Amino acid sequence: MKKAMAGVAAMLIAGAAAAGEANQIVVDGSTTVGPIAKAFAEHYMQKHPEVNITVSESGSGNGAKSLINAACDVATMSRPMKNSEKKAAQDAGILPIEHVVAMDGIAVVVNNRNPVADLTTAQIRDIYTGKIRRWSELGGPDEPVVAISRDTNSGTYECFETLVMDQQKMASPVEYTGSNGAIRQRVMSTPGAVGYVGLAFTEGVKTVTVNGIEATPETVVSREYPIARPLYMYTSGRPAADSPLADYVGLAATEDGKRIIEATGFVALP
Amino acid sequence: MSLQTRKILDRTFSGAGLLAIAWLAAALLVLLAPMVVRGLRAVCFQGTIEHRRFLLEKFERGDRTEVEAEIRAAQAAREPAWRMLAEFDRQLAAGEASVRARYRAPLKDLRKHLQFLLGPEPGKPRPPLLRDQYGQTRMDLAQLGLERVLRREEWDYSNPAAGGVRESKPRAEDFAGTPLAALFPYVEQNLAAMMRPRRTFYWGFWTDESFDAHFFGGIWPEILGTFYLAIGTLLLAVPMGLVAAIYLTEYARESRFLAVLRTCNNTLAGVPSIVFGLFGLAFFINTAHVSPAKSVLAGSMTLALMILPTVIRASEEAIKAVPRTYREAALSLGAGRWHTVWSAVLPAALPGILTGIVISMGRAAGETAPIIFTAAVSVGRPLALWQTLAQPTPALSWNIYNLATEHEAVDLVRHVQYGLVLTLVGLVLLLNLAAILLRARIARRLRN
Repeated sequence: MKKAMAGVAAMLIAGAAAAGEANQIVVDGSTTVGPIAKAFAEHYMQKHPEVNITVSESGSGNGAKSLINAACDVATMSRPMKNSEKKAAQDAGILPIEHVVAMDGIAVVVNNRNPVADLTTAQIRDIYTGKIRRWSELGGPDEPVVAISRDTNSGTYECFETLVMDQQKMASPVEYTGSNGAIRQRVMSTPGAVGYVGLAFTEGVKTVTVNGIEATPETVVSREYPIARPLYMYTSGRPAADSPLADYVGLAATEDGKRIIEATGFVALP
Repeated sequence: MSLQTRKILDRTFSGAGLLAIAWLAAALLVLLAPMVVRGLRAVCFQGTIEHRRFLLEKFERGDRTEVEAEIRAAQAAREPAWRMLAEFDRQLAAGEASVRARYRAPLKDLRKHLQFLLGPEPGKPRPPLLRDQYGQTRMDLAQLGLERVLRREEWDYSNPAAGGVRESKPRAEDFAGTPLAALFPYVEQNLAAMMRPRRTFYWGFWTDESFDAHFFGGIWPEILGTFYLAIGTLLLAVPMGLVAAIYLTEYARESRFLAVLRTCNNTLAGVPSIVFGLFGLAFFINTAHVSPAKSVLAGSMTLALMILPTVIRASEEAIKAVPRTYREAALSLGAGRWHTVWSAVLPAALPGILTGIVISMGRAAGETAPIIFTAAVSVGRPLALWQTLAQPTPALSWNIYNLATEHEAVDLVRHVQYGLVLTLVGLVLLLNLAAILLRARIARRLRN
């Protein structure tokens, strides 16, 4: 018994000593980038079983905070880091390095029953500011509009706010949700709902065209689709060459990585 | 009051009591039965050849020659379908551009759904994602795939005031008059030959790692993570809780300070768990840096903090319930205070203390909020013991939430979600059962 306890203690001490260094990569942040981060982790660990990559999806804002607090190695973000966050990182002695991994369009989605097929950016803004309250105003049935938004911690929210809302505040009836998947499910189950999600989350809901342009990888690449944005991974300092971290973040530039990004429904960088 | 009335009242009361119990049992049944039935479907289901191929290729599990023979048979049954598709491709390539344009979108859609059902097309490069490298592993999902191959969902918006009406159109109509029209009846009639369903007990669900974000494999990392968290919590909370309870009941003199301390403890027991979670993030991870990132250690510390008030309270009550005579007897025999507590009071209080501890452990295993920011991740490997000090882990409670809301294909991993729920409920029930048995055993030993 005593021997076993001593053994466990020795293992724990050895573990504590080894814990600081790197056969682990902790990824935290955007729920939009989640599918890419998870697929990259799967791909990388297949080839390097000694490395443990953990992924959590808590929102871009939390990802940034995590990186600033040195609590993660990679912050996945669906928006660029804000100046205030960069400043906070600097104060904490951390230099966030930006890696663009893919492009994404923010698709505006409605329930399949909804006949509305196209919305202009102005109409979408009016929906979220509460000016448009019934679908009949947009040529649909006489049903109330249930506007679903991401929470303010989300990068998708911030991009939507910049690209669509034009500095106007969202109205109070707007519902805030914690993830892309949750918006998708809410829109699937509610006839009058409208929401916005990353391109990988449009299965089972109806994607409307925005200003007459469909959200597809092609229109996102050509920048025709108005609500498009890059997806990022941030690391603390430039990762050492050939380290697992460098390989993981660098996957996006490889052929394999690009195929993975496309298979998950996003747009690979050229 | 006459005897008669009293009898009637008495019977009414026992009747109401019985009714309440029956009501409770029915509610439990309504709640638990679907959970158990659906949860078991993660383990016991109609597995297709794709499931067996996955097990063979990933784990070398199953009889190689037999499975390979089955794979060949399934491929032979699928071959005509793929051949029809390839032939149509060739015909289109040779034909006019306008015809090609007309069939481009429907063909792409059909191909997507056929690959969803059967896996990648032979002779094409291997898809990068594991989920695209195999067809459907479960017959219920294969039926869904077949439905998507045969029919296309379309929405009729001709009456905008009423909203869209779902119409399901046979895809065969899109390809009427082409060689591809024969594909649909073929696939429909030969589904069993192509998928080879068989009753499967996938015990590996509880012992395998998860692959490709829970599309394949099991939930071992979650089970192990929950186990580590519960044990870690126990190791941290019980010694502290017990010492505090002994001090409060046996050593401390009743004073205003003690009353305040008790009130604080009781208040702490009522604090919502998410508050502990945020405190854990702010204190253990961001301030004290107990680990470089989220970790099982930080999570256990947070959970320990959360259950500590309950452990103290339960232990206090159990110690107080020990009759004074025990202490007096021990003291009269010349035992010191510490010796009295150790050899007379604690053994008698043990059943009560243990019950409190095990019930708190059940709570620790099931809580989500405290571990969101301190320990839990959606995807990760099962950890070795020493890695718990520095690495985060998936855990049952958190992953149920993750699969229900955040996952990109919630509908395709529903069975995993139910399996996780069943496992968590089973684990907590098992813990409680252990508590009851342990308590009964110790109580019996004390009596003898």
